[in-house]
Amino acid sequence: MRSYKPQKRDDIGDHNNASGRFLPASVHGYNQHLAAVRSFVPDRATPRAFDLRLSNELKKALNVDAMKPNPSRTDGRLHMSVRHVRAPAPAAESGFAGAQRCVFSLPVALPVGMVADLGPQAFRVKPHRTTSAMSKAALAHTHGSLTPSFLSAIGFRDDITSCPERLDLDRRGLTAVPLPDLHVCVKLRLLNLQHNLLPHLQDLLHLRHLVVLDLHDNRVIDMCGVSALSSLRVLLLGKNRIQRICDLDGLTKLDVLDLHSNQISRIEHVSGLSKLRLLNLSGNRIARVENLQGLRSLTELNLRHNSISHVTDVQHLPRLQRLFLSANSISSLDALACLWDCRSLSELSVDGNPVALESCYRHTLLRCCSTHLQLLDMKRVTEEERRSASVSARKEDEKKKESHKLAAHKERRRLAIQNAAHLWEGLKAHQWEGLKQNEAQQWEGLKASSLEIPAQNGSKEDVSPDNSPAHSPAQTNGNAQETSPDEPRRLSPLTLSAGGLRSASRPNSPRDSRFQDGPGVQSLSMSERHLAELEGETLRLFGPGALETLERCWGVQTASSVTTVSFRYIHFDSIIPTFLRIRLKFPNLTHLKFMETSITHLPQLAALAQIRRLDQITVHPEGNPVVRLTLWRSFLIYRLQHLNLQKINGTEVTMNDITASELMFGALGHVAATETPRCRLLLLLEESRKRQLQFLLDGRGRRIGQSPEELKDNGKHVGDGLSRALFNYPSRVSDGPEEEGDASQRSAMVHQYLRGLVHRASSHSVKGESLQKIWPSLFSELVRDCVLEMRDTQAFRQTCLRRITHSK
Amino acid sequence: MKMNTDRFSLTVDEYLAETNVLFYLNDAVTQLLEHKEEYTQFGVVRYFAEYFTSVKNGNHVLFREFSYIKATPHNRESFIHIFWKCFRQIGKNGDLLAMSEYSSLLQLLCPDFPTEMVQNTARIVLIDDATDCLSFSDFIYSFQIQFYYEEFVESVSVIYQDLLSGKNPNTVIVPTSTSVEQLSGAANEEPDVQEGVDSSIFCECIEGLCERFKHKFPSIVAIKEILESSQRVSFYSFLMTLAKHEGVNQDISALPNKSDLLIDPEMDQELERLIAQVAISPTSNNSSSSAAGQKETSKKASPRKSLHQRKRIEMESDGSTEETDSSEN
Repeated sequence: MRSYKPQKRDDIGDHNNASGRFLPASVHGYNQHLAAVRSFVPDRATPRAFDLRLSNELKKALNVDAMKPNPSRTDGRLHMSVRHVRAPAPAAESGFAGAQRCVFSLPVALPVGMVADLGPQAFRVKPHRTTSAMSKAALAHTHGSLTPSFLSAIGFRDDITSCPERLDLDRRGLTAVPLPDLHVCVKLRLLNLQHNLLPHLQDLLHLRHLVVLDLHDNRVIDMCGVSALSSLRVLLLGKNRIQRICDLDGLTKLDVLDLHSNQISRIEHVSGLSKLRLLNLSGNRIARVENLQGLRSLTELNLRHNSISHVTDVQHLPRLQRLFLSANSISSLDALACLWDCRSLSELSVDGNPVALESCYRHTLLRCCSTHLQLLDMKRVTEEERRSASVSARKEDEKKKESHKLAAHKERRRLAIQNAAHLWEGLKAHQWEGLKQNEAQQWEGLKASSLEIPAQNGSKEDVSPDNSPAHSPAQTNGNAQETSPDEPRRLSPLTLSAGGLRSASRPNSPRDSRFQDGPGVQSLSMSERHLAELEGETLRLFGPGALETLERCWGVQTASSVTTVSFRYIHFDSIIPTFLRIRLKFPNLTHLKFMETSITHLPQLAALAQIRRLDQITVHPEGNPVVRLTLWRSFLIYRLQHLNLQKINGTEVTMNDITASELMFGALGHVAATETPRCRLLLLLEESRKRQLQFLLDGRGRRIGQSPEELKDNGKHVGDGLSRALFNYPSRVSDGPEEEGDASQRSAMVHQYLRGLVHRASSHSVKGESLQKIWPSLFSELVRDCVLEMRDTQAFRQTCLRRITHSK
Repeated sequence: MKMNTDRFSLTVDEYLAETNVLFYLNDAVTQLLEHKEEYTQFGVVRYFAEYFTSVKNGNHVLFREFSYIKATPHNRESFIHIFWKCFRQIGKNGDLLAMSEYSSLLQLLCPDFPTEMVQNTARIVLIDDATDCLSFSDFIYSFQIQFYYEEFVESVSVIYQDLLSGKNPNTVIVPTSTSVEQLSGAANEEPDVQEGVDSSIFCECIEGLCERFKHKFPSIVAIKEILESSQRVSFYSFLMTLAKHEGVNQDISALPNKSDLLIDPEMDQELERLIAQVAISPTSNNSSSSAAGQKETSKKASPRKSLHQRKRIEMESDGSTEETDSSEN
């Protein structure tokens, strides 16, 4: 097919003008058609000469010498046209007269069954259409077109014998092929039946040698039987009433198939046409481009003016060069996706589709389609255009990739939060249950596990989850329904360790592991059940695992940019140990948010006092029962007075609030500060204050006669801050889990010691008591003895002296 | 702690049992051993002196664990008194507070104070569950009964339930024929028709209980007085009247009379001083008390900080004008 020269041509149907010299009528017909089409397709190039040829092969097959000089060319032509209209007449009239007559006599002379295809006929007279190698045969045809009987009567046989290979029977108003005569023409190669009224092909099926069959503008409903014409190369069935493509399997040599302007709604049964080069299906009702496999030679596919919304299978056409999809209803580039694989495509038109209105349409097409594409929508593709397309393509690609990533990340984020929420719900449910049974035990366990989490580092992380699931048997995994409480316990460590491993494998600095998603949202740490992310100045933590992020080393810049930290699905008690770290890590922290952290009672709020600088606190009512207490706000203001909170839950803290809170809790603080035993204070206070107090006590303590009143005054010196400082959480009083043995040993010792003490004391008291009883008699006895001894003064003196000398 | 004048008439063990001296001694020594470091530095003698002074003054229960607070009547009484002293102002405010709120307040003084105690207290007051909140005075008097006489209340509850179900409570020592008749009569009538139990039988049973009761119980006179006032009595109405009984309150002597419940001039004075302090200089506490904290904040000097202080100054001026206004009045 090398003779086929691809070139700029005009529109629809033009390819059918194959070798116009020997297919005059066909050329003609398509020209009209062309004119019609051109009226709504903006035309740029003036129609060029229709020098489109069929392949040499085809020409040879036709065996018609197109170049043969024909002396009676013009005449013949004119004759033809005249005869065509008029009744039988001698073939020697002037062209002009003929033409005129033709026009005028038409109404009269028009034979029955002839369509009013007048315009074209007048058109035909134009001299530049004179390409036909018309001769006697043409004349004969005109004769024959009158009526079959007439045809047979006049020397049709002669005609056939003289030119057995071609037959033009166009514009005869034929409703049936004059069969008996055609039977003779077994060698007929070209049959032109344009502009007739033939309803079917049945009469033609014995013309085994037919190479070109032109049935343009007929009334063919059904193309059944056409497969019998096995040598057919050109089959022109434009402007018919065909509804289904069928029976083409035998036509293995078919080169051109024109089915334009029919009522076909589906492309089918064409896969056997391996030699088909040209397929015109424009002006049909096709909704989908499909079933194109097997068309190995197809170079041009015309699908203009259909209602195509989806294009497939085009990638199976290895030689496709020209594809016309103008004026369809393709609305998205995705519908054209199969074009991207169509490497040989050099010309494409998609204009007149909704998709062509899209801004990036041309760029996208240029980018995605083959690089050989030279014409797009009849506009030449320039290098520059291609370049810009590729640039925008790259950008788009990146964008797409990014958005994919983003979507995936978002999904993961959503899942993490959801899981954290599930876990939280489970935890809560479990807690309530426990509350009824043995709250204290539950609580301890919870605290222990929660305290453990922040203390872990990367290596321990894989172990930790094993603790928490034990508290969350109600954890469900969204789609997996786990009813048995043991099952998730078994499962979750697995899933968790996966999450843990992933985050553990990350570099330790959050900066490196950061995942940019969207404007300013950085994901710091994520697993199936926790998420930590930084958005602008806000650090958000979901799920207890997220607290681990606080352990990592942060860049000074990043850390100082954080002004807000929000917690969600984390038990408040497990957050508490991190406050100190938060305080040191985020110097510009001004806002803390708590959502679903189960703050239940006022003492818990006291833990916030560890933070040194804070403007705002938000405790969301959801999952924080403490907000339902009327006093929580007052207490918070009172306890965190040193922070000078500006806002609590978005409401401004006014001076009145501060006074009111002082009124409410001042007494408590005062009592606490002044009445708590000093020694007890030592235990309750935090380190710095403790030292302070100790110093004060020592200073005073050296003085003698320290009265309790003085001590009370001390309280004031120690400061009123003390009163607040006493409310700590978790309180120091609840001594840590002490070793049972130690405690019992101690209590036994104490008991023994006290027993001894009591024994001694009581025996003392017994002795004293009995002494008290016998003392009067004892005393009188003593006195009596003395008196008796000293009754004789002389003797007493001598005895005394003797005792002194003896004692020397 | 009341000094018994007849203490010399008791044997050693009797005396020790009655005064809980051994308990306090035990606790003091245990505490000393537990916090050896702090207390040796503080001075052991001084520690003991202070410990027993605080026991005497009743402030030894501050921030102690619940088991300690509950251990002796004296501790209970002290705790009730301290609770009153600390939160009187809340009562003065007149708000009705929810049970959980009282529980939270108690936990401020005793971190492991159980919620059951508060729930039981609330049950005494809230006969119908229409409202969930209770006033301070209602709460504190019922709390006193519930907490101070916990064991007694429990036993009475058992008796009451037995009476309700028509059983002969085993606490009744010698049920006379008449009382049995009455009892059966009461059983026939059924609590549905007339709520509660016959008060005279109830009274008898309680008397029987008191005779051999180890723990503290309200004076028989008061109980009799309450139960004689009506024909039938329900458990909670009995407790409620008990809570409101002046005599019982005086016996415990932790709380002032109902009329004086919200009056504490000494503390008011103290409060005024505190508020004035807060109003004049909200920062003074910070600066005077926590040098460490101060150092820390001054270290972190930032633009935000200065803004902060400006705000603070504004607030101060606000506060001071308010203060002068109030003083003029």
